[in-house]
Amino acid sequence: MKRPGWVNIDFIVGFSLLGLVAGGVLLGPLLWPVDPYHQSIAHVFQPPLESGEHGNLYPLGSDQLGRDLLARIIAGTRISLVIVTLAMLIAAPLGVAGGVLAGLFGRWTDATIMRLVDIQLAIPFILLVMMIVAVLGSGMANLIIVLGITGWAVYARVARGQVLSIKNLEYIEAAQALGSSRLRLILRHILPNIMTPLIVLITLDLPRLVILESAMGFLGLGVQPPTPTLGNLLGEGQAYIFTSWWLVVFPGTVIAMLVVAFNLIGDWLVQVTNARIE
Amino acid sequence: MVQYIAGRLAQAIIVLLGVSAVVFFALFLTGDPAVLMMPPDASRAELDAFRRAMGFDDPMVVQYGRYLWRALHGDLGSSLRFQQSTLSLVFERLPATVLLAVSALCWSTLVGALAGIVGALKRGTYVDFGVRLIALLGQAIPVFWLGLLLMLVFSLYLGWLPTGGYGRWQQLILPSLSLGAYYMSSMTRLGRASMIDVMAQDYILTARGKGLTEPSVVLKHAYRNSLIPVVTVLAMHLGQLLGGAVITELIFSWPGIGRLAIQAIYTRDFPLVQAVVLLSASIFVFVNLAVDILYVVLNPRIRI
Repeated sequence: MKRPGWVNIDFIVGFSLLGLVAGGVLLGPLLWPVDPYHQSIAHVFQPPLESGEHGNLYPLGSDQLGRDLLARIIAGTRISLVIVTLAMLIAAPLGVAGGVLAGLFGRWTDATIMRLVDIQLAIPFILLVMMIVAVLGSGMANLIIVLGITGWAVYARVARGQVLSIKNLEYIEAAQALGSSRLRLILRHILPNIMTPLIVLITLDLPRLVILESAMGFLGLGVQPPTPTLGNLLGEGQAYIFTSWWLVVFPGTVIAMLVVAFNLIGDWLVQVTNARIE
Repeated sequence: MVQYIAGRLAQAIIVLLGVSAVVFFALFLTGDPAVLMMPPDASRAELDAFRRAMGFDDPMVVQYGRYLWRALHGDLGSSLRFQQSTLSLVFERLPATVLLAVSALCWSTLVGALAGIVGALKRGTYVDFGVRLIALLGQAIPVFWLGLLLMLVFSLYLGWLPTGGYGRWQQLILPSLSLGAYYMSSMTRLGRASMIDVMAQDYILTARGKGLTEPSVVLKHAYRNSLIPVVTVLAMHLGQLLGGAVITELIFSWPGIGRLAIQAIYTRDFPLVQAVVLLSASIFVFVNLAVDILYVVLNPRIRI
């Protein structure tokens, strides 16, 4: 069969969707400079394309306090993306470190770390996150830390498998024979060679974090209102779903767009790099 | 084989011990679980009395040992809000969760595996494209959003189905649909990949070479073999579903353990939260253990 080329449908659609959302987040405040916190009691629950005070338009409608939904989605998407990125930046290094140690040292180190992975994966993720947030208190910093610390297990598993598959190759032996220290071995020889599957894993893990963050917001255990995040917007809108559908439909659409984009880019990366991350 | 099973059993026990430790020590993350569980306006004397009653004055190791000992005897403490055994509360709600999880798993596996296989057989056509598109969307749509949209369409606009509740079969449809969508997608992807894999095997070539008809090749030789990974993942999904229906249960007012857990979190009823988490994790561990053992028994290649 023909080897798939660099540019395929996954690539085009994935990056267009991501570009659309990223463009909205970056340029949105310039193109649509409306304060996401500005309330207007006279214009609550305006449907999309209805005009508000001074004849200003509500392109996506307004919420229960008369705030502009488009402005809130722009602001909320940005906050959600920041949370998700920071959480990933905690989870990935933590998991990769654990996985590399387990794969390289074997024996008890391996057994201990892999049992920790099992323990982590046995607890229903959303319950675990909910429990910890309930104890620590909600808020942006806590949410990032909890999502980050609980997200390490998958990275550890993949990194360990990758290390096991390369650690007996000749160039690793050669590096050891030349007397490189373990730290140097890991940083110079192992990490660069297991990077590709890890990057693929990150693109496939980000959508999971997006959904998880919005679930926490939806349950009221994420960032506290009035700060908008995609999950908060959905959670707040849920109460008015039967009268104001736009409060639920639009934020959810953005979440779905983000997740589709990351999944497609991940699929595309799997195809072009031939990475196996099982 | 006995050695393998014993090893897996030991692993499962270690994992459960670990889970119990996580569940137990999570309460001490802020330092004082009494402050966490009592109302914010509780007086110092009330807090002290509560600490004594719960045994929070003892060393942590003693407390954890006591917790484990009681757990082994089927006592996971009593709920602060309901003033009754947490375990009985959880078991009261478990049948609803099992019903929801199993129904979601059944339809998602049937539809997903079938769609995946059809997609694989019609690879590269519009049918395949449609199958992949649906699989992609099913994974991308968060369960709570799908739940709300389904409610909006089928309950509000069409008025066909109730928005929530438990007892009649109509009330099962929407929660089951929204919970199963993600798993259907994952089954579709898996079934498609697996079938493509199988169709490229030599024995399929042999079967065709023997002059078997295409339906016979597909149904007798390819289809059965393509189901092996599907069955493995099925068990993992069951474990996840039993603990993962939290949000679906909340949206559709479904009286299962997920909704119990989140209500317990809102009311700071931590013994009840601990019980739900520990029990869902145990179910997950046991389902996986059972599948691993079944696998060894059924598959001669692992049975050495």
